[in-house]
Amino acid sequence: MSPIILNVILHATLQTLEMVFASTAISVLVGLPLAVFMIVTGPNGLYRLPIIGRLVGIIVDALRAVPFIILLVVLIPVTRFIAGTSLGTEAAIVPLSIAGIPYFARLAEVSLREVDMGLIDAVKAMGGTRLTIIRSVLIPEALPSLIGSLTVTLITMVSASAMAGAIGAGGLGDLAIRYGYQRFNTTVMMDVVIVLIIMVFIIQMVGNSLTRWLRH
Amino acid sequence: MKAPILESRHVTHRFGGQTALKNISFSIEKGEVVGVIGRSGAGKSTLLRFLCALETPEEGQILLDGIDLTKQPENRLIEIRRHIGLVFQHFNLLTSRTVASNIALPLQIAGRPRREQQERVNELLELVGLAGFGEKYPSQLSGGQKQRVGIARALAANPALLLCDEATSALDPESTTSILNLLTDINRKLGLTIIIITHEMDVVRRFARRILALDHGKLIEDGTLIDFLSDGGQKKTLQPLLADIRPKLPNDIAQQMCETDSPGAAIIMRVVHSGEGVMPPFFGALAQRFTLDAALLQGGVTTISGQPVGDMIVSLRGERRDEAVEFVKELVKSMEVLGYVPHHP
Repeated sequence: MSPIILNVILHATLQTLEMVFASTAISVLVGLPLAVFMIVTGPNGLYRLPIIGRLVGIIVDALRAVPFIILLVVLIPVTRFIAGTSLGTEAAIVPLSIAGIPYFARLAEVSLREVDMGLIDAVKAMGGTRLTIIRSVLIPEALPSLIGSLTVTLITMVSASAMAGAIGAGGLGDLAIRYGYQRFNTTVMMDVVIVLIIMVFIIQMVGNSLTRWLRH
Repeated sequence: MKAPILESRHVTHRFGGQTALKNISFSIEKGEVVGVIGRSGAGKSTLLRFLCALETPEEGQILLDGIDLTKQPENRLIEIRRHIGLVFQHFNLLTSRTVASNIALPLQIAGRPRREQQERVNELLELVGLAGFGEKYPSQLSGGQKQRVGIARALAANPALLLCDEATSALDPESTTSILNLLTDINRKLGLTIIIITHEMDVVRRFARRILALDHGKLIEDGTLIDFLSDGGQKKTLQPLLADIRPKLPNDIAQQMCETDSPGAAIIMRVVHSGEGVMPPFFGALAQRFTLDAALLQGGVTTISGQPVGDMIVSLRGERRDEAVEFVKELVKSMEVLGYVPHHP
């Protein structure tokens, strides 16, 4: 393989990693509080705000209902407003995050729901405030499962970032389409596929061992 | 008389039209060990949630140290809950924290300084017999050890009251014994008031000096085990609760037994006696005085809270049987005729 191609692949890989990790980070930062909000306002929740809770749920579901390739196009004005342009790796982080937030929020909600009600009762009976319950019970007890949700989100972002490549985001997806599809360069496309597979494998492996370690 | 530490006054509660608790009144003094017994659905868990201030009954009052829990705002209740220790059937330990950190949680919530937390945790680990286990995680412990951690955690903030919700129901017999011994020990050492809620008569028999029995939301008995055994004949609702710990009629006798008396039939009676000294030696006395055929079919004498208590099933047969029955009735605490076994010459 020529050093030029190797360089192109390396560059695209870094772009993909940037998109995946930045958008996942934003998804967790916004999605986790949303998930906690949906849990604590839900039935038998710590705070009784059923109407606002439902509303958040509806918005989350609406965002998840739109296929990502359509969301990418629909969000172009928003992307341009936030990033100043709709092209390039940095700009792609905007639609990726907007898709990732509700995705992670729903996954995290399931993780949080799995926390044993008995533990919440126990801390409540100790005289713990609602904030204590969220901080010392809900999140730490759900952490291994939340890491699992994070792993799934990262991998979903890898494939979503490839789709973003189709509208000029750069990265491995862009490379595969330009070289593999438009120029019939099968070698580059196979290389890209191999890099993607390795990337997903590593993410899953790290995620799994982190979950196992946290489960004590 | 001392002021009660915990009092339930006419507590009534309904769940969707169904009465869960009906007019429950009792009061518990400091240092008492009380067992609350009832079958599932009797209202035990509902009562427990009221006693630990997690929920409020529709009617009636719960008084802890004279403070009416049903009239406090939520932020005051949060404060009050810190003075009640709760031990759970399934331990409810945080899996994400070490044993030491689990025990420290109530202290952390109460905002005690870190140094004090550490000292208290070590003290408690020592008390429950788990010294050196502080850095382990709950998943590395056996059921009995987990419950010891649960007890240490409940004691951490020096509660005025320890409530145990089926604390031994998930444990094997050996761990049950060790947990009950630990609780008894804690009551003796710290003078702590302990209430244990359970469906197992055997647990309260071994542990509680006073027993409250719930059935279908009603308080059907409040007394010592001896009261329970002597009232067992009259109160049909108590019998299923007592069935586990009472002597049972041997099968062959049960098959022969009928409800009507016949000439020469043997009378089968359940006799309960307790009191100072030994059981009245009535087998000897009966045989001599009434020339009877007296037999002990099942049961014997055990010691409950330092008092000998006899609970047995006896059979009497002979010419002067009815005189003997009168004599026994005078002698013992309670007596119940179970039936008659006809005479087969």
